[in-house]
Amino acid sequence: MNERVIAVVTAGLTTPSSSRLLADQLSAAVADELSGRGITSRTETIEVRDHAHDLTNNLLTGFPSAELREVLETVESADALIVVSPTFSASYSGLFKMFFDVLDDQALAGKPVLLGATGGTERHSLVLDFALRPLFAYLKALPVPTGVYAASTDWGPNAAGLRPRITQAASELVAALHHETPTKADPFTNPTPFADLLNS
Amino acid sequence: MQFGVFSVGDVTEDPTTGVTLSEGERIKAMVAIALKAEEVGLDVFAQGEHHNPPFVPSSPTTQLGFIAAQTSKIILSTSTTLITTNDPVKIAEDYAMLQHLADGRVDLMMGRGNTGPVYPWFGQDIRNGIALAVENYALLRRLWREDVVDWEGKFRTPLQGFTATPRPLDDVPPFVWHGSIRSPEIAEQAAYYGDGFFHNNIFWPITHTKQMIELYRRRFEHYGHGAADQAIVGLGGQVFMRKNSQDAVREFRPYFDNAPVYGHGPSLEDFTRETPLTVGSPQEVIERTLSFREHFGDYQRQLFLIDHAGLPLKTVLEQLDILGEEVVPVLRKEFAALKPAHVPDAPTHASLKVAAERARALETIEEPAVVAEPTAEEPTR
Repeated sequence: MNERVIAVVTAGLTTPSSSRLLADQLSAAVADELSGRGITSRTETIEVRDHAHDLTNNLLTGFPSAELREVLETVESADALIVVSPTFSASYSGLFKMFFDVLDDQALAGKPVLLGATGGTERHSLVLDFALRPLFAYLKALPVPTGVYAASTDWGPNAAGLRPRITQAASELVAALHHETPTKADPFTNPTPFADLLNS
Repeated sequence: MQFGVFSVGDVTEDPTTGVTLSEGERIKAMVAIALKAEEVGLDVFAQGEHHNPPFVPSSPTTQLGFIAAQTSKIILSTSTTLITTNDPVKIAEDYAMLQHLADGRVDLMMGRGNTGPVYPWFGQDIRNGIALAVENYALLRRLWREDVVDWEGKFRTPLQGFTATPRPLDDVPPFVWHGSIRSPEIAEQAAYYGDGFFHNNIFWPITHTKQMIELYRRRFEHYGHGAADQAIVGLGGQVFMRKNSQDAVREFRPYFDNAPVYGHGPSLEDFTRETPLTVGSPQEVIERTLSFREHFGDYQRQLFLIDHAGLPLKTVLEQLDILGEEVVPVLRKEFAALKPAHVPDAPTHASLKVAAERARALETIEEPAVVAEPTAEEPTR
């Protein structure tokens, strides 16, 4: 089978960030799961922080810089997506949202997505289902049922508790990979004939 | 090839002096720019239409009529005429009237307008933007071409036995361009009618502009108006020039940094690299403009944006001097030398009048041997 490309979008701000830590563990688990099924894969990890200025500029000018355009195309053409946002003020971070605001709203249609979030306290864990999941539902992506939330304690005493959730989510993402992504019509290759526009 | 300027008509504070023109001063400044454009030998002055501050030109034919009275050569155009929120009946009449007053020195560029709140002020909804552009323009064409129109559509009250007055000058409707940045439907519309297509070519990378123009050219050929390279293409462009490149950059930077639309965003250097904006010497503007031809093919009209973001009138008039003396004469020569003979110039009232007379003469001689093409549309030119 062809190589699968997994794009990882992580919006942590510090170096290293716990969001990146979770993103790396999720992508490693997905790669393991794929190789266990005899499928080779490649991971493209995108630190949203690296594109913060370009994202702002895109919002202001309406078009991405050449560099950001490449990043957006990576996400759009990937077979599946892993996203991780830190929890800010009870939701995903503004920077994380900007990335998906700038992405074409059809770019993720039909694409399997593994939802991840991090936070200082486990009390925010429903951010996955109350903030991230609706966003990806709107984008017509296919978020897998298990999301992974990691609080500070998951990196210490509770680390063993995080592992099975990561494995479960990774196997769900790989299972969803068999889903055929719908092909998009290109209005520049196949424009709507004018007679149809006149009569619609 | 035609060269000109297009003005958005924004009232913006000059970030270097804190001076903001009054609406009246800005309106008069636009007139001064148009008169100067004719004086320095440009071919076209086009102005925007807006119904919200910080823009002043809500009534283009009033302004263009005033300019027409003080000029004799320059073509007066729009950038753009809102085909969505204006009543097509009023567009038909306003611009036919202007045609008579300006002795035919008039064409129009149709645009949809991208400001959501404006639509409901005129009883419309931005979500119908494309549908409005399609229906209103189809009606506008009939109003200019048929003396008595019966019509019914979705967006305006029906017309029975209606005659738009005055009739177009010499029964030749103004040439129409369709402007759109990213809607393939509008490129398709321009191609269908064999009208011109204009890309403002200002805010977007060249790849986007190219995609739109290639679609228009391909479909122009598809609809039988000529070969793809004979389609009528217009381009915008944004320039700021001084004798020395560094002086241009230094002087323009504060205007760029605070400009409406892209200000407080990318750096001048990034934006210059990513978009057609050129800030530098006249020679750099010449080279960049000539490079458009390599991307988009031979084209018929080049308009420059030179008067926004709070630039003082004095500076804008200096820009026009540089365009007229150093840039456009060179571009005219270079573009003309490169253009193959089968690529037409942009239609003007004079050329359309000749074409219409020829078509009428042909009809009289060959009737009824000439069989109409099985298309819903009459030829445009």
